Amino acid sequence: MTETAQVLDDLITSEVVGNALAVAVEEASVVVVRSSHSTFIQEGADACAAILDASGQLVAQSMATSLMHGSSLRSCLPSLLEDVDIDDMVPGDVFVMNDPFRGGIHANDLVVLRPVFANDRPAFFVGTLIHVADLGGVAAAGLAALATDTFGEGMVVPPVRLYAGGALVTDIAAMLRRNSRAPDQVMGDISALVSGVNVAAKRLDELIETHGADRVDHLVESQLAYAETRMREELRSLPDGDYSGEFTIESDGVEEGRTFTVRATATIDDGSITVDLTATDDQSRGAINSSYSQTLSGVLYAVRCYIDPTIPMNDGCFRPLEVKLRHGSIVHPTSPAACGGRVVTVFAAVEAILAALSAARPERSVASSGTVHVFAMATPAGAENRWLTMLYEFGGIGARASSDGPDATGAFFLGGRSTIPQIEPLEAQYPLVVHEVSVRTDSGGPGKYRGGLGSQMILEPFEDVEVTVRGDRMILPPPGVDGGLSGVGGFSAVEHHDGTIEMHKPKQSGILVKAGEKLIFSTSGGGGHGSPLERDPRAVLDDVADNSVSPEAANDVYGVVITDGAVDTAATEARRAELAVARAAEVAR
Amino acid sequence: MTTSTPFLGVDVGGTFTDIVLSDADGRVHTRKVLTTPADPRDGSCRGITEVLAETGTDPTSITRLVHGTTLATNVILERKGPPVAFVTTAGFGSMLRLGREARVEGDRYDLLFRTATPPVPPGLTFEIAERISGTGAVIEAPDDDQIAALVAEVAAADPVSLAVCLINSHRDPTHEQRVAAALRAALPHVYMAVSSDVWPEAREYDRAMTTVISAYVGPIMADYLRGLEARIHELGISCPVEIMESSGGVLRAELAAQRPVYTVESGGAAGVIAAGYVGSLLGESEVISFDMGGTTAKAGVVRDGKPDITHDFHVGGKGSFGSTRSGTGFPVKTPVVDMAEVGAGGGSIAWVDTGGALRVGPSSAGSTPGPVCYGRGGTEPTVTDANLVLGYLDPGALADGLQLDTQAARDAIERVVAPLGLDAVDGAWAIHELVTTNMAGAIHVVTVQRGIDPRSFTIVGFGGAGPLHVARLASTFRITKAAVPWSAGVASAVGLCTADLTVHQMQAFAADAATADPEELSAAFEQLEEQGRRDLVDERNASDFTVNRTMGMRYRGQAYQLTVAAPSGPLGSEELASIGKAFREQYVRTYGIDFDGEPQIVSLHSQVSRVVDKLSMPLAEVTDTDPAGAHLGNRPAYFPGSGMVDTPVYDWVRLSPGTALSGPALVQGPDTTVVVPAEHRLTIDGYRNVVLHLEADADQGR
Repeated sequence: MTETAQVLDDLITSEVVGNALAVAVEEASVVVVRSSHSTFIQEGADACAAILDASGQLVAQSMATSLMHGSSLRSCLPSLLEDVDIDDMVPGDVFVMNDPFRGGIHANDLVVLRPVFANDRPAFFVGTLIHVADLGGVAAAGLAALATDTFGEGMVVPPVRLYAGGALVTDIAAMLRRNSRAPDQVMGDISALVSGVNVAAKRLDELIETHGADRVDHLVESQLAYAETRMREELRSLPDGDYSGEFTIESDGVEEGRTFTVRATATIDDGSITVDLTATDDQSRGAINSSYSQTLSGVLYAVRCYIDPTIPMNDGCFRPLEVKLRHGSIVHPTSPAACGGRVVTVFAAVEAILAALSAARPERSVASSGTVHVFAMATPAGAENRWLTMLYEFGGIGARASSDGPDATGAFFLGGRSTIPQIEPLEAQYPLVVHEVSVRTDSGGPGKYRGGLGSQMILEPFEDVEVTVRGDRMILPPPGVDGGLSGVGGFSAVEHHDGTIEMHKPKQSGILVKAGEKLIFSTSGGGGHGSPLERDPRAVLDDVADNSVSPEAANDVYGVVITDGAVDTAATEARRAELAVARAAEVAR
Repeated sequence: MTTSTPFLGVDVGGTFTDIVLSDADGRVHTRKVLTTPADPRDGSCRGITEVLAETGTDPTSITRLVHGTTLATNVILERKGPPVAFVTTAGFGSMLRLGREARVEGDRYDLLFRTATPPVPPGLTFEIAERISGTGAVIEAPDDDQIAALVAEVAAADPVSLAVCLINSHRDPTHEQRVAAALRAALPHVYMAVSSDVWPEAREYDRAMTTVISAYVGPIMADYLRGLEARIHELGISCPVEIMESSGGVLRAELAAQRPVYTVESGGAAGVIAAGYVGSLLGESEVISFDMGGTTAKAGVVRDGKPDITHDFHVGGKGSFGSTRSGTGFPVKTPVVDMAEVGAGGGSIAWVDTGGALRVGPSSAGSTPGPVCYGRGGTEPTVTDANLVLGYLDPGALADGLQLDTQAARDAIERVVAPLGLDAVDGAWAIHELVTTNMAGAIHVVTVQRGIDPRSFTIVGFGGAGPLHVARLASTFRITKAAVPWSAGVASAVGLCTADLTVHQMQAFAADAATADPEELSAAFEQLEEQGRRDLVDERNASDFTVNRTMGMRYRGQAYQLTVAAPSGPLGSEELASIGKAFREQYVRTYGIDFDGEPQIVSLHSQVSRVVDKLSMPLAEVTDTDPAGAHLGNRPAYFPGSGMVDTPVYDWVRLSPGTALSGPALVQGPDTTVVVPAEHRLTIDGYRNVVLHLEADADQGR
């Protein structure tokens, strides 16, 4: 082939192969979601799929489902290759693992990896990951909010064969099944994970058959190089320098009164970026530690928010990125720390990096957001009808430099609102009724641009249940920036039969709720951006019309006087002047 | 040819309105007129008048007029509908506002993202205290005083349109129907959509939004169709107007006005139906539909002669390779022909990104300024420019006597690809191939991702640009047979004339497959079909009905269902057993793994069709089957492996049925050109369709 012909052929085939890889991982993640047996996977699309090469480089990653688990499949493969000789692998082998200190996240996030062969040797690995229904531990559904080590969070699985040469390894399956409170559900979920890797493996087999292994290898490397080039180009467009940000976590639920701060310094230097998290606080005794692979997913996510997001997600994205972590810190804990509650921490790391990089790109600055509030329900031991489920609701997103924050969604790192189950399938599957899912008036942090509202869900189980809650940013609600105020913190509580309300701690487990009592879950609003006294009075009027802001808050916080459904401009100016003086006095004090 | 009753197909597209007339002798006449966006009925009536005059057809003799329109989609995407008032169960008034927002691909990193605003403005959501449980039990019945208070509240807001969706009304519609009846009685002039009538399926947001969308497009659609009927009556046509619905059946206008959400993909469905019809002419029942125009390309699938249907459609949605992901756009749960649409068309622009990769689209030069070769001010090279440089398009053969500027196209491509070390022709080929790859992604979504092996299918390519790319796409999937219909430029309008009158009914049905009572199932299906037949009967009553049943099934514990075909007629335990077996097989096909679980039935769907007179393409006269008589001359055209080669160009109009020839060749039709690569053999079938056969030993694509 002439040189030009080679260029042309590479250019075209590279696109063909790149698309095929992207389609294959997307398809694998969709297959996992659609065939799974856990509500928050089915409704929440909380799944990840990836293709890696035999040296452990990320080749492609699913982008439509969870981004939170992205780096974990990449981090797990080296551990598999450490324990199992690659030459001992045969077609049809499927491996399973979850060890958080060897690339995993926590016990309930199960990873499945399957080698794809070329020339009689594994050339690629395809992987899938979801939070399965339950894998033991001190609390149901993998929500051991108060666990103090990894063993309390469920069965730790080293890299082992789940299928050997295409046949289920029944010993391992039996072991997994016996360690679950929901054996049928967990085996259904594992089956979904295997469906995902099988589908992706089939596509990869076809691709190798069509183009030949060497050609696919060559084109994959050019894809990685391409992503790296574009990543560096994009980083070059950011001003070089050191940017710092931090975010404080209110509590781990175990050590009373101790907060944890994630501190990030991002150094941009001629097309490369170093994210240094070594100044972050020590690891926690509770479960909020973020394993290194989980932290890495967060770092990469935050960095990608400041570059062209269409760059393909593969190992090329990691090449210009150096991440510095301190072993023993909350973002890189030592074994056997508990890691199940790490969402709190990795999302704090994301906020810290967003805060840092906002200085490089002020137009993309964003106030802090409410986070995910997770709760699990299970019938207590001895109950006749055994069932369990895990659910969640999101807080509001922080206001941006030029727009309000969206309401109650896990957009950004966590996935959008479509990850929250709809009520009807939930009620069809479990003995419960949901009385309300609504936005919380006045919960969004006031500002020139307002934080998104938090939500409130009221749920009544028809049977006695044991509940675990794991929320955050409730005691220390998401702060505002540039004079914007904090959002209002969420809470969780139970309304007893006599009408009394008992508040829970943000992280609490073993809460017994009687049939017919009502559980209330409220999430936090996002922080505001800029002074509320500068908010366009017409926007405040609209806020009042759609119950985002109460008439009282319009007057007292925003200084907007509404008379007969319209803004009274003169009265508003006077009120705002009055409030400005009062606030200046407050600051002076 | 036997005598037929004359009828019309009228397809309104973004740029052109296509008219097809099947006359009393069964001859087919076509007409293309410019679409009149301000009121598409103007263009439609002009085209109808012209085609009637041209053929000397008596308007009163027309017995059917089938219309395809993108009106409903446009109303939604351009937000032209009226504000909708929304009534729901107390506690759920935030449902639409909270929505199901999801983001895909690059959007996931967008810190400045905005969520879509539902068509229900603040202050127009109303709640009623009532509740049905997840198992269908009454937790709280609405009381009459509260209903009266609700009615007063809604009336005070004076809405134009109203949507009612109460929680779990798919399990028991009693409360919802009571509330709706009270509202209807008090507000007889308000357009109203009720979720248990529209599509009674679980998932409150999806059902509510389907209902809201129905209420949003309803008043406009009803008005439009009434007006259209009046206008064609003025032309002397007395038959009722019919409209293609999203799943490819045809609805009478009166029913479509009541069920407007069924028409969201009216225009798109017609193309897939057309491809299926072309397949039937070729004796093929497994067809991939590939429709490529100026800005987008659409792929769909026909199996066993019927289009694949999805219940997971999102108007204005986004996703990978033309799929639409849940949480993007607005969900429409009613049946829609399963299609993937990508931003790949003749106008798609080629560029080089910062990583040094050549990319095509998503931006498009559209019709203004258009491709560089049009000489209307376009400076960025497009797919059409590439096809011109490759010799596929005749510089002088475009409509309007427009002369294409090959040199300008060549220069523009060269400017873009020079940094990659390519010349204009190689660059043009790269552009051609990249856009092909992008479209292959869309075909992949509707075939491979749905567990369908495309290799045994016939691919039918149409639209202005489809015939240029269809052979190459076929090779990509190792598909051995491709076709371009004689009427490629007006294929969708032909499709309108080939479908039966159809209605869809569904109901939720919860049972374990192992213990389900076959009699109860049969009775439920019968009831759905009885309703369907009632909807389809009219004064022109014919009595031939066909029924197509499917069931939603899944394993206990799962939330997503697979659609499994069920036999019509009474069901017994034997039929149930074979349905169970079919489910299991489909599960393995879809998920690549067998599962040892308990199959459940979730829902029953029934499609009832009334067989009506349809277009039947007449056989063309066989003349001289030697292609030499149609040889227009040669021009250089690019084929991989050979580069620019002197390629014979044939005049499609003069190619007789029965002609066979081998590639490389170009077949030039009135409004499109078919590219025939070297590895393909071409035949002209009895209907003048171009049929391409991939030689078995040829290069099987990349």
